Amino acid sequence: MVAIRDSNAQKLETELRRGVLVLAVLSRLRTAQYGYSLRQALAEEGMPIEEGTLYPLLRRLEEQGLLASDWRIEEGPPRRYYKLNAKGARLYDELTTNWRGLVKTMDRLLD
Amino acid sequence: MQAQELIESYVDDVARRLPRKVRNDVGLELRALLGDQLKAAAAEAGCQPDERMAIDLVHRFGRPDDVVSSYRERGFNLIEPGDAPLFVKLATICVGLQWALTLPAVFAGTSTFSAWWVSWGFGALAWPGALVLWFAAAAWVRRVSPVDPDTRRRPWTHWIFWLPMSEDWQPTLVRRPGAREVKLQIALAALATGFFAAPAWFLDLFVADASWARYDGDFGRWLLAPLIGLMVARLALFVAITADPRRRAPTEKLRFGLWAALVGLLYWSAFSWTIFAAPAVDAPFKAWLSVFLLVNTLQIVAWLRRARTRVRAPASRA
Repeated sequence: MVAIRDSNAQKLETELRRGVLVLAVLSRLRTAQYGYSLRQALAEEGMPIEEGTLYPLLRRLEEQGLLASDWRIEEGPPRRYYKLNAKGARLYDELTTNWRGLVKTMDRLLD
Repeated sequence: MQAQELIESYVDDVARRLPRKVRNDVGLELRALLGDQLKAAAAEAGCQPDERMAIDLVHRFGRPDDVVSSYRERGFNLIEPGDAPLFVKLATICVGLQWALTLPAVFAGTSTFSAWWVSWGFGALAWPGALVLWFAAAAWVRRVSPVDPDTRRRPWTHWIFWLPMSEDWQPTLVRRPGAREVKLQIALAALATGFFAAPAWFLDLFVADASWARYDGDFGRWLLAPLIGLMVARLALFVAITADPRRRAPTEKLRFGLWAALVGLLYWSAFSWTIFAAPAVDAPFKAWLSVFLLVNTLQIVAWLRRARTRVRAPASRA
Protein backbone atom coordinates (compact mmCIF):
# COMPACT_ATOMS: atom_id res chain seq x y z
CA MET A 1 0.00 0.00 0.00
CA VAL A 2 2.87 2.29 0.92
CA ALA A 3 4.55 1.51 -2.40
CA ILE A 4 1.36 2.43 -4.31
CA ARG A 5 1.08 5.72 -2.43
CA ASP A 6 4.73 6.50 -3.11
CA SER A 7 4.42 5.79 -6.81
CA ASN A 8 1.29 7.97 -7.00
CA ALA A 9 3.04 10.79 -5.19
CA GLN A 10 5.96 10.49 -7.58
CA LYS A 11 3.67 10.54 -10.59
CA LEU A 12 1.82 13.61 -9.32
CA GLU A 13 5.07 15.39 -8.55
CA THR A 14 6.34 14.63 -12.07
CA GLU A 15 3.13 16.08 -13.50
CA LEU A 16 3.52 19.21 -11.38
CA ARG A 17 7.10 19.67 -12.56
CA ARG A 18 6.13 18.99 -16.17
CA GLY A 19 3.59 21.78 -15.96
CA VAL A 20 6.19 24.38 -15.06
CA LEU A 21 8.97 23.08 -17.27
CA VAL A 22 8.31 25.36 -20.22
CA LEU A 23 8.18 28.45 -18.03
CA ALA A 24 11.39 27.42 -16.27
CA VAL A 25 13.18 26.95 -19.59
CA LEU A 26 11.86 30.24 -21.00
CA SER A 27 13.04 32.05 -17.86
CA ARG A 28 16.66 31.02 -18.48
CA LEU A 29 16.53 31.86 -22.16
CA ARG A 30 16.26 35.58 -21.68
CA THR A 31 19.99 35.33 -22.28
CA ALA A 32 21.40 33.06 -24.98
CA GLN A 33 22.22 29.54 -23.77
CA TYR A 34 23.27 26.31 -25.40
CA GLY A 35 21.76 23.03 -24.28
CA TYR A 36 24.31 21.99 -21.72
CA SER A 37 24.68 25.46 -20.16
CA LEU A 38 20.90 25.75 -19.94
CA ARG A 39 20.65 22.42 -18.20
CA GLN A 40 23.35 23.48 -15.76
CA ALA A 41 21.65 26.82 -15.11
CA LEU A 42 18.36 25.10 -14.34
CA ALA A 43 19.99 22.48 -12.14
CA GLU A 44 21.82 25.15 -10.16
CA GLU A 45 18.47 26.78 -9.41
CA GLY A 46 17.03 23.49 -8.22
CA MET A 47 15.27 22.47 -11.42
CA PRO A 48 17.19 19.50 -12.82
CA ILE A 49 15.85 18.29 -16.16
CA GLU A 50 16.60 15.07 -17.98
CA GLU A 51 18.69 15.62 -21.10
CA GLY A 52 16.28 13.56 -23.14
CA THR A 53 13.45 15.92 -22.14
CA LEU A 54 15.22 19.24 -22.43
CA TYR A 55 16.75 19.05 -25.90
CA PRO A 56 13.62 17.97 -27.78
CA LEU A 57 11.71 20.63 -25.82
CA LEU A 58 14.09 23.30 -27.08
CA ARG A 59 13.51 22.24 -30.66
CA ARG A 60 9.75 22.17 -30.16
CA LEU A 61 9.76 25.68 -28.70
CA GLU A 62 11.82 26.84 -31.64
CA GLU A 63 9.42 25.19 -34.11
CA GLN A 64 6.58 26.99 -32.33
CA GLY A 65 8.34 30.26 -33.15
CA LEU A 66 9.20 31.17 -29.55
CA LEU A 67 12.99 30.83 -29.73
CA ALA A 68 15.71 32.00 -32.06
CA SER A 69 18.84 29.90 -32.44
CA ASP A 70 22.24 30.14 -34.07
CA TRP A 71 25.40 28.06 -34.26
CA ARG A 72 28.47 29.53 -32.60
CA ILE A 73 32.02 28.32 -32.55
CA GLU A 74 33.80 29.52 -29.44
CA GLU A 75 35.73 27.08 -27.28
CA GLY A 76 35.26 23.47 -28.24
CA PRO A 77 32.78 22.11 -30.78
CA PRO A 78 30.14 24.22 -32.56
CA ARG A 79 27.20 24.83 -30.24
CA ARG A 80 23.68 25.88 -30.91
CA TYR A 81 22.59 28.83 -28.80
CA TYR A 82 18.92 29.48 -28.06
CA LYS A 83 17.31 32.72 -26.95
CA LEU A 84 13.77 34.05 -26.58
CA ASN A 85 12.59 35.98 -29.62
CA ALA A 86 9.95 38.74 -29.45
CA LYS A 87 7.05 36.28 -29.51
CA GLY A 88 8.73 34.09 -26.90
CA ALA A 89 9.38 37.10 -24.67
CA ARG A 90 5.72 38.11 -24.86
CA LEU A 91 4.62 34.59 -24.00
CA TYR A 92 7.13 34.49 -21.16
CA ASP A 93 5.69 37.73 -19.68
CA GLU A 94 2.17 36.38 -20.01
CA LEU A 95 3.01 33.04 -18.42
CA THR A 96 4.93 34.75 -15.62
CA THR A 97 1.90 36.89 -14.75
CA ASN A 98 -0.33 33.81 -14.80
CA TRP A 99 2.14 31.86 -12.72
CA ARG A 100 2.38 34.57 -10.04
CA GLY A 101 -1.40 34.71 -9.82
CA LEU A 102 -1.53 30.95 -9.54
CA VAL A 103 1.10 30.91 -6.79
CA LYS A 104 -0.88 33.47 -4.78
CA THR A 105 -4.06 31.43 -5.19
CA MET A 106 -2.30 28.22 -4.22
CA ASP A 107 -0.69 29.87 -1.21
CA ARG A 108 -4.13 30.97 -0.02
CA LEU A 109 -5.48 27.48 -0.56
CA LEU A 110 -2.59 25.74 1.13
CA ASP A 111 -2.29 28.03 4.16
CA MET B 1 36.65 2.08 -28.11
CA GLN B 2 37.49 5.58 -27.02
CA ALA B 3 34.82 7.52 -25.14
CA GLN B 4 34.44 10.09 -27.92
CA GLU B 5 34.16 7.36 -30.57
CA LEU B 6 31.42 5.73 -28.54
CA ILE B 7 29.52 9.02 -28.41
CA GLU B 8 29.99 9.46 -32.18
CA SER B 9 28.65 5.98 -32.78
CA TYR B 10 25.60 6.67 -30.59
CA VAL B 11 24.91 10.01 -32.28
CA ASP B 12 25.16 8.35 -35.72
CA ASP B 13 22.67 5.72 -34.61
CA VAL B 14 20.22 8.38 -33.44
CA ALA B 15 20.75 10.55 -36.53
CA ARG B 16 20.06 7.63 -38.89
CA ARG B 17 16.58 7.33 -37.41
CA LEU B 18 15.75 11.03 -37.69
CA PRO B 19 13.92 12.65 -40.63
CA ARG B 20 16.40 13.71 -43.31
CA LYS B 21 15.75 17.46 -42.99
CA VAL B 22 16.75 17.62 -39.29
CA ARG B 23 19.24 14.76 -39.26
CA ASN B 24 22.42 16.77 -39.56
CA ASP B 25 21.29 19.61 -37.35
CA VAL B 26 20.11 17.45 -34.47
CA GLY B 27 23.08 15.12 -34.86
CA LEU B 28 25.56 17.99 -34.59
CA GLU B 29 23.78 19.44 -31.60
CA LEU B 30 23.54 16.08 -29.88
CA ARG B 31 27.23 15.46 -30.42
CA ALA B 32 28.13 18.81 -28.82
CA LEU B 33 25.73 18.28 -25.91
CA LEU B 34 26.93 14.78 -25.11
CA GLY B 35 30.54 15.88 -25.51
CA ASP B 36 29.98 18.68 -22.99
CA GLN B 37 28.35 16.31 -20.56
CA LEU B 38 31.12 13.77 -20.94
CA LYS B 39 33.70 16.43 -20.17
CA ALA B 40 31.72 17.59 -17.16
CA ALA B 41 31.43 14.01 -15.86
CA ALA B 42 35.19 13.52 -16.29
CA ALA B 43 35.97 16.82 -14.57
CA GLU B 44 33.77 15.80 -11.67
CA ALA B 45 35.51 12.44 -11.40
CA GLY B 46 38.92 14.13 -11.73
CA CYS B 47 40.09 11.97 -14.62
CA GLN B 48 40.02 11.70 -18.41
CA PRO B 49 36.71 10.67 -20.08
CA ASP B 50 36.57 6.90 -20.44
CA GLU B 51 34.37 4.26 -21.98
CA ARG B 52 32.43 3.62 -18.76
CA MET B 53 31.47 7.29 -18.44
CA ALA B 54 30.38 7.42 -22.09
CA ILE B 55 28.30 4.25 -21.74
CA ASP B 56 26.63 5.60 -18.58
CA LEU B 57 25.92 8.85 -20.34
CA VAL B 58 24.28 7.37 -23.42
CA HIS B 59 22.35 4.85 -21.34
CA ARG B 60 20.96 7.71 -19.29
CA PHE B 61 20.11 9.57 -22.46
CA GLY B 62 18.03 6.67 -23.75
CA ARG B 63 17.75 4.13 -26.53
CA PRO B 64 18.10 5.72 -29.98
CA ASP B 65 14.50 4.80 -30.84
CA ASP B 66 13.20 6.52 -27.70
CA VAL B 67 15.38 9.58 -28.28
CA VAL B 68 14.11 9.90 -31.83
CA SER B 69 10.48 9.56 -30.75
CA SER B 70 10.91 12.50 -28.37
CA TYR B 71 12.14 14.62 -31.28
CA ARG B 72 9.22 13.66 -33.48
CA GLU B 73 6.14 15.84 -33.72
CA ARG B 74 3.34 14.87 -31.40
CA GLY B 75 0.92 12.65 -33.24
CA PHE B 76 -2.80 12.28 -32.77
CA ASN B 77 -5.18 9.70 -31.40
CA LEU B 78 -6.54 7.43 -34.07
CA ILE B 79 -9.13 6.37 -31.51
CA GLU B 80 -9.95 8.90 -28.79
CA PRO B 81 -9.01 7.60 -25.33
CA GLY B 82 -12.64 8.01 -24.24
CA ASP B 83 -13.76 5.78 -27.14
CA ALA B 84 -11.16 3.09 -26.50
CA PRO B 85 -13.25 1.02 -24.02
CA LEU B 86 -16.22 1.06 -26.41
CA PHE B 87 -13.95 0.10 -29.31
CA VAL B 88 -12.54 -2.86 -27.37
CA LYS B 89 -16.04 -3.90 -26.31
CA LEU B 90 -17.45 -3.68 -29.85
CA ALA B 91 -14.47 -5.42 -31.44
CA THR B 92 -14.66 -8.23 -28.89
CA ILE B 93 -18.41 -8.63 -29.35
CA CYS B 94 -18.19 -8.62 -33.16
CA VAL B 95 -15.29 -11.08 -33.39
CA GLY B 96 -16.68 -13.24 -30.59
CA LEU B 97 -20.16 -13.33 -32.14
CA GLN B 98 -18.89 -14.25 -35.60
CA TRP B 99 -16.73 -17.01 -34.16
CA ALA B 100 -19.47 -18.24 -31.85
CA LEU B 101 -21.95 -18.45 -34.74
CA THR B 102 -19.62 -20.09 -37.25
CA LEU B 103 -17.22 -22.26 -35.23
CA PRO B 104 -19.85 -24.84 -34.21
CA ALA B 105 -19.88 -26.02 -37.85
CA VAL B 106 -16.30 -27.27 -37.32
CA PHE B 107 -17.31 -29.24 -34.24
CA ALA B 108 -20.40 -30.56 -36.00
CA GLY B 109 -18.12 -31.90 -38.75
CA THR B 110 -19.72 -29.90 -41.58
CA SER B 111 -16.54 -27.85 -42.06
CA THR B 112 -12.84 -28.25 -41.35
CA PHE B 113 -10.93 -25.96 -39.04
CA SER B 114 -8.65 -24.74 -41.83
CA ALA B 115 -11.63 -23.99 -44.11
CA TRP B 116 -13.31 -22.15 -41.23
CA TRP B 117 -10.14 -20.21 -40.37
CA VAL B 118 -9.53 -18.91 -43.92
CA SER B 119 -13.17 -17.81 -44.23
CA TRP B 120 -15.17 -16.88 -41.11
CA GLY B 121 -12.36 -17.27 -38.57
CA PHE B 122 -9.76 -14.94 -39.99
CA GLY B 123 -12.48 -12.88 -41.69
CA ALA B 124 -13.83 -11.89 -38.26
CA LEU B 125 -10.68 -9.83 -37.77
CA ALA B 126 -12.05 -7.44 -40.39
CA TRP B 127 -14.41 -6.16 -37.66
CA PRO B 128 -11.67 -4.42 -35.63
CA GLY B 129 -10.43 -2.91 -38.92
CA ALA B 130 -13.88 -1.61 -39.83
CA LEU B 131 -14.34 -0.28 -36.29
CA VAL B 132 -10.97 1.49 -36.41
CA LEU B 133 -12.16 3.31 -39.53
CA TRP B 134 -15.41 4.21 -37.80
CA PHE B 135 -13.78 5.55 -34.63
CA ALA B 136 -10.96 7.21 -36.55
CA ALA B 137 -13.57 9.11 -38.59
CA ALA B 138 -15.27 10.20 -35.34
CA ALA B 139 -11.93 11.30 -33.87
CA TRP B 140 -11.11 13.19 -37.07
CA VAL B 141 -14.45 15.03 -36.99
CA ARG B 142 -13.81 16.03 -33.37
CA ARG B 143 -10.29 17.13 -34.21
CA VAL B 144 -11.26 19.32 -37.16
CA SER B 145 -14.28 20.78 -35.36
CA PRO B 146 -13.16 21.50 -31.79
CA VAL B 147 -15.57 22.90 -29.22
CA ASP B 148 -15.86 26.67 -29.62
CA PRO B 149 -14.90 28.20 -26.23
CA ASP B 150 -17.49 30.99 -26.65
CA THR B 151 -20.51 29.01 -27.78
CA ARG B 152 -19.46 25.74 -26.04
CA ARG B 153 -20.50 23.73 -29.06
CA ARG B 154 -18.83 22.21 -32.06
CA PRO B 155 -19.38 23.76 -35.45
CA TRP B 156 -22.17 22.11 -37.42
CA THR B 157 -23.75 20.46 -34.41
CA HIS B 158 -27.43 20.80 -33.82
CA TRP B 159 -27.64 20.07 -30.10
CA ILE B 160 -26.34 23.04 -28.21
CA PHE B 161 -26.79 22.54 -24.50
CA TRP B 162 -28.66 20.35 -22.17
CA LEU B 163 -32.33 21.28 -22.38
CA PRO B 164 -34.90 20.76 -19.61
CA MET B 165 -37.61 18.18 -20.17
CA SER B 166 -40.43 20.66 -19.81
CA GLU B 167 -42.47 23.11 -21.83
CA ASP B 168 -42.34 25.66 -19.07
CA TRP B 169 -39.34 27.67 -20.14
CA GLN B 170 -38.43 30.14 -22.85
CA PRO B 171 -36.52 28.69 -25.82
CA THR B 172 -35.02 32.16 -26.33
CA LEU B 173 -32.92 31.49 -23.23
CA VAL B 174 -30.58 29.24 -25.16
CA ARG B 175 -28.38 30.12 -28.07
CA ARG B 176 -29.90 28.52 -31.12
CA PRO B 177 -27.86 26.93 -33.84
CA GLY B 178 -27.24 29.14 -36.87
CA ALA B 179 -30.00 29.03 -39.47
CA ARG B 180 -27.45 28.29 -42.20
CA GLU B 181 -26.11 25.24 -40.34
CA VAL B 182 -29.58 23.87 -39.65
CA LYS B 183 -30.61 24.33 -43.29
CA LEU B 184 -27.47 22.53 -44.41
CA GLN B 185 -28.11 19.63 -42.03
CA ILE B 186 -31.69 19.32 -43.21
CA ALA B 187 -30.57 19.48 -46.85
CA LEU B 188 -27.93 16.78 -46.26
CA ALA B 189 -30.40 14.54 -44.42
CA ALA B 190 -32.94 15.01 -47.25
CA LEU B 191 -30.26 14.23 -49.82
CA ALA B 192 -29.23 11.08 -47.93
CA THR B 193 -32.87 9.97 -47.73
CA GLY B 194 -33.29 10.62 -51.46
CA PHE B 195 -30.13 8.68 -52.20
CA PHE B 196 -31.33 5.75 -50.11
CA ALA B 197 -34.68 5.82 -51.95
CA ALA B 198 -33.10 5.51 -55.40
CA PRO B 199 -29.33 4.96 -55.36
CA ALA B 200 -29.19 3.77 -58.97
CA TRP B 201 -30.97 6.90 -60.19
CA PHE B 202 -28.53 9.18 -58.31
CA LEU B 203 -25.45 7.25 -59.40
CA ASP B 204 -26.67 7.26 -63.02
CA LEU B 205 -26.03 11.01 -62.95
CA PHE B 206 -22.30 10.41 -62.38
CA VAL B 207 -21.45 7.03 -63.92
CA ALA B 208 -22.35 5.50 -67.25
CA ASP B 209 -24.09 2.41 -65.94
CA ALA B 210 -25.26 2.22 -62.33
CA SER B 211 -27.50 -0.81 -62.73
CA TRP B 212 -25.38 -2.58 -60.09
CA ALA B 213 -26.85 -0.18 -57.52
CA ARG B 214 -30.44 -1.35 -58.13
CA TYR B 215 -32.40 -2.75 -55.23
CA ASP B 216 -33.66 -6.28 -55.27
CA GLY B 217 -37.25 -6.42 -56.58
CA ASP B 218 -38.86 -7.78 -53.40
CA PHE B 219 -36.93 -5.41 -51.16
CA GLY B 220 -37.96 -2.44 -53.32
CA ARG B 221 -41.59 -3.59 -53.35
CA TRP B 222 -42.07 -4.36 -49.65
CA LEU B 223 -39.44 -2.77 -47.44
CA LEU B 224 -38.20 0.36 -49.18
CA ALA B 225 -41.39 2.39 -48.67
CA PRO B 226 -41.61 1.77 -44.86
CA LEU B 227 -37.91 2.54 -44.50
CA ILE B 228 -38.19 5.78 -46.45
CA GLY B 229 -41.34 6.62 -44.49
CA LEU B 230 -39.47 6.29 -41.19
CA MET B 231 -36.57 8.36 -42.48
CA VAL B 232 -38.89 11.11 -43.66
CA ALA B 233 -40.74 11.04 -40.33
CA ARG B 234 -37.44 11.39 -38.46
CA LEU B 235 -36.46 14.27 -40.72
CA ALA B 236 -39.82 15.99 -40.12
CA LEU B 237 -39.38 15.58 -36.37
CA PHE B 238 -35.86 17.01 -36.62
CA VAL B 239 -37.26 20.08 -38.39
CA ALA B 240 -39.98 20.43 -35.74
CA ILE B 241 -37.50 20.12 -32.86
CA THR B 242 -35.20 22.66 -34.49
CA ALA B 243 -38.06 25.13 -34.70
CA ASP B 244 -38.85 24.69 -31.01
CA PRO B 245 -36.09 23.03 -28.97
CA ARG B 246 -38.20 22.53 -25.84
CA ARG B 247 -38.00 18.84 -24.98
CA ARG B 248 -41.29 17.16 -24.30
CA ALA B 249 -41.73 13.61 -23.10
CA PRO B 250 -44.03 12.59 -26.03
CA THR B 251 -41.62 14.09 -28.57
CA GLU B 252 -38.70 12.26 -26.97
CA LYS B 253 -40.66 9.02 -27.01
CA LEU B 254 -41.62 9.55 -30.64
CA ARG B 255 -38.00 10.30 -31.53
CA PHE B 256 -36.85 7.14 -29.81
CA GLY B 257 -39.70 5.08 -31.30
CA LEU B 258 -38.90 6.17 -34.84
CA TRP B 259 -35.23 5.48 -34.31
CA ALA B 260 -35.80 2.03 -32.81
CA ALA B 261 -38.31 1.16 -35.57
CA LEU B 262 -35.85 2.20 -38.26
CA VAL B 263 -33.05 0.15 -36.70
CA GLY B 264 -35.38 -2.82 -36.30
CA LEU B 265 -36.49 -2.64 -39.92
CA LEU B 266 -32.88 -2.34 -41.07
CA TYR B 267 -32.01 -5.44 -39.02
CA TRP B 268 -34.79 -7.35 -40.73
CA SER B 269 -33.62 -6.08 -44.12
CA ALA B 270 -30.00 -7.01 -43.45
CA PHE B 271 -30.60 -10.50 -42.19
CA SER B 272 -33.76 -11.69 -43.96
CA TRP B 273 -33.82 -9.93 -47.31
CA THR B 274 -31.64 -9.41 -50.33
CA ILE B 275 -31.17 -5.65 -50.47
CA PHE B 276 -29.21 -5.13 -53.68
CA ALA B 277 -29.86 -7.29 -56.71
CA ALA B 278 -26.13 -7.62 -57.42
CA PRO B 279 -24.55 -10.00 -54.87
CA ALA B 280 -21.21 -8.16 -55.21
CA VAL B 281 -22.90 -5.02 -53.85
CA ASP B 282 -25.30 -6.69 -51.44
CA ALA B 283 -22.67 -8.49 -49.33
CA PRO B 284 -20.32 -5.54 -48.62
CA PHE B 285 -23.27 -3.22 -48.07
CA LYS B 286 -24.68 -5.61 -45.50
CA ALA B 287 -21.29 -5.82 -43.77
CA TRP B 288 -21.24 -2.05 -43.36
CA LEU B 289 -24.90 -2.02 -42.40
CA SER B 290 -24.09 -4.54 -39.66
CA VAL B 291 -21.52 -2.19 -38.13
CA PHE B 292 -24.01 0.68 -38.33
CA LEU B 293 -26.70 -1.45 -36.71
CA LEU B 294 -24.41 -2.68 -33.99
CA VAL B 295 -23.40 0.87 -33.03
CA ASN B 296 -27.05 1.97 -33.09
CA THR B 297 -28.13 -1.00 -31.00
CA LEU B 298 -25.60 -0.10 -28.34
CA GLN B 299 -26.78 3.50 -28.46
CA ILE B 300 -30.38 2.36 -28.05
CA VAL B 301 -29.43 0.18 -25.08
CA ALA B 302 -27.53 3.13 -23.55
CA TRP B 303 -30.56 5.39 -24.16
CA LEU B 304 -32.89 2.94 -22.45
CA ARG B 305 -30.55 2.54 -19.49
CA ARG B 306 -30.22 6.31 -19.12
CA ALA B 307 -33.99 6.73 -19.33
CA ARG B 308 -34.38 4.43 -16.31
CA THR B 309 -31.61 5.97 -14.25
CA ARG B 310 -32.67 8.24 -11.40
CA VAL B 311 -30.57 9.97 -8.80
CA ARG B 312 -31.60 8.57 -5.47
CA ALA B 313 -30.98 9.92 -2.00
CA PRO B 314 -28.37 7.96 -0.08
CA ALA B 315 -29.68 5.45 2.40
CA SER B 316 -29.43 7.08 5.84
CA ARG B 317 -27.70 5.21 8.60
CA ALA B 318 -29.25 5.10 12.00
